[in-house]
Amino acid sequence: MPSDLIIIGIYLALMFAAGIFFSRNIKSTADYFLAARSAPWFWIMGAVWATNIGFLHGYLAHGGAAYEWGLVQANFEWFQGPFGYILTGLFFIAFYWRAGIFTVPGFLEKRYGSAIRVIYSIGWLIFFIITIAAELYLGGMFLKNIIGLPFWPTVLVLTGVVGTYTLLGGLGAAIMMEFVQFVIMMVGTMPLVFILLNMVGGFEGLTDILLNQWNISPQYFSVLPDNHHPYGPGPWIILGQCFVVTIGWCAGHQSMVQRNLGARSLYDSKLGYIVAGLPKTLGAFLYIVPMLAAPIIFAQRGIFVEKADAAYGKLILNLLPTGMLGLFIAGLTSAGLSSISGVLNSSSTIVIKDIYERFMVKGKPDHHYFVAGRWATFGIIVASLLLVSIVAKSPLIMWLEQTLLAILLGPFMAILILAIFWRRTNTPGSLIGYLTGSAFAIYYQQVLGQRVFFKISWWSFVVALVVTVVASLLTKRPKPEKVEGLTWESDFHAKVGAITEQRAENNGTKVTQLPDIKITMPPWHLNLKYWATGILIVQLVLLFFFG
Amino acid sequence: MLAAATILLLVQTAPAQEKFIDVRQEMADSLTEVKDAVSENNWASALESFNKAKDIWQNEVKPLIVEDNKTKKRFDEYFGRMNEVQEDLNKLGQLVQNKQSTEIESKVNAIIWGISHHPRGFDVPDRVYNVWDWVFGLGIGLGFCVFAVVAGLYLRRSYYRRYAKQQNL
Repeated sequence: MPSDLIIIGIYLALMFAAGIFFSRNIKSTADYFLAARSAPWFWIMGAVWATNIGFLHGYLAHGGAAYEWGLVQANFEWFQGPFGYILTGLFFIAFYWRAGIFTVPGFLEKRYGSAIRVIYSIGWLIFFIITIAAELYLGGMFLKNIIGLPFWPTVLVLTGVVGTYTLLGGLGAAIMMEFVQFVIMMVGTMPLVFILLNMVGGFEGLTDILLNQWNISPQYFSVLPDNHHPYGPGPWIILGQCFVVTIGWCAGHQSMVQRNLGARSLYDSKLGYIVAGLPKTLGAFLYIVPMLAAPIIFAQRGIFVEKADAAYGKLILNLLPTGMLGLFIAGLTSAGLSSISGVLNSSSTIVIKDIYERFMVKGKPDHHYFVAGRWATFGIIVASLLLVSIVAKSPLIMWLEQTLLAILLGPFMAILILAIFWRRTNTPGSLIGYLTGSAFAIYYQQVLGQRVFFKISWWSFVVALVVTVVASLLTKRPKPEKVEGLTWESDFHAKVGAITEQRAENNGTKVTQLPDIKITMPPWHLNLKYWATGILIVQLVLLFFFG
Repeated sequence: MLAAATILLLVQTAPAQEKFIDVRQEMADSLTEVKDAVSENNWASALESFNKAKDIWQNEVKPLIVEDNKTKKRFDEYFGRMNEVQEDLNKLGQLVQNKQSTEIESKVNAIIWGISHHPRGFDVPDRVYNVWDWVFGLGIGLGFCVFAVVAGLYLRRSYYRRYAKQQNL
């Protein structure tokens, strides 16, 4: 155990030092919030995955939910990969880039005006602060269970380390740390899968014990489960999760989008996002499959597990040898830190760019906002710390998070899709639609008592979509210059216009190359289409096998 | 204000649920000590640890389950397993007193698993989709796919239509 503690101590010290090291070149808000737009695709890939996977998304909360509900939890990894990352990478990211924005709410303002920017920013800010609190709670509880560290001091140390390197180094430090953490996580957490499956006789042995010897419901191994699940029934998973939640998450979550905006080119951004679908898919084997075997190990070895969120920690504590346990904990801690760091940086970006600079203090030098960004980071850390004890009361953290996301994502997806694909959508229409969709989601959940998250997401999406369309048709058409460059149609027209100009210059000679792809084609192994197709095939094989 | 809010939040933290976790953890630790003591052939220590575990069960864990079950149904799963745990505890007590080491480990493991949180997915009944789930869920889902394809084709056509127009300039 002391050797494990030494490994963890060295790791935290290195993270702390690296953050300070990377902070030396930060001079402006673009450096701080967008890493000076310098990150290559593989950093983006690692950072996107590491931001998404932490204590909350991934090992502890997803693992805990997998223990609670079974294989259905893998849908977050197997649907999010193809539908979320690939579709966002191919269709949405380019518009964010062209709009020259720092934040997703910034894009909404360019398309729809400032009111929706404020409403959307505040919604996500609340969600982010609760997310950080949940991450801190899960991290503190994990280290308390595993190595007996006291809860609150551990939470404060974690906050200090991640707060320092994010606060000083901004997005650049966060992305570089996340890439390192991505590697540590993969190496550190992979052995558990093989150890566990070996213990229960492989996946076949696992299903045999649970289905035939324990006589549990086959639904535990279903990716499209029964309607008694909080995620089900199956058709709603396909509908709500594929089309609303995962795309909304990938295209609307500031932490995810911000990493892409920090890329050195649009191509790096797209490629990084699409390739991140692969480790995301494989993530199910790191923390979902092991948790299906966990009940057998707990029962056979007499391991006490008090609640689902604690199950993953109890499992590794009792299975891994000293030394390896330390590496494992370092891997998990890195996952948690990278997630906290990502959300922390994004929260401060929203506070400064969407609220402070936009509505409170305008026209100051860039350095003023850069310093304010650091103060915002500090304030968000304190606010999250205050919420830790509230979050701790939730019986299952995934439940808490999904409750909030069910309200946030449906209306957002509706107005985002319409923003890009229907230029007739206007400001009053989007505002009325977004508010109606959100109000409906809250009513459906809190008053009518609907507990299936994806049903709430789907119907709030439909309500927002229909209301936005109707309200837009009943009000004035937006001015063409307001939507120029921000919609799919205008994007086509811009390309056509440029081609026509080139033809005119060439006296009508046929120009076959579109202006914005007049670049050297990447080698085959960096081709977006190949990656997207390959990942989709992997997803389909997995769904076929486990569905 | 900030400090007062912090203190208030921290004080609120750990009521019944936290206590329920702590007492079960203590009981599980005592039962694990029984296993360890038996493996070292230290029967006196095993009996002492067993009595401690039994006391915690009788005075802390069981009353919490019974009381809570009357009002909130929060510990429902444990209420359903109470008799099973009680029987296993009685059997374990006999085994320890008679110094019969063969079944002790399995009994201890069964009791600890009995007071642990079990996956809720274990009890989910077989698939019972109703027709509306299929109509709304898959129907609209497939409809959405068809819509996406049609919209994509429309955009493509719009592009080429405009392309052709511009060519005639």
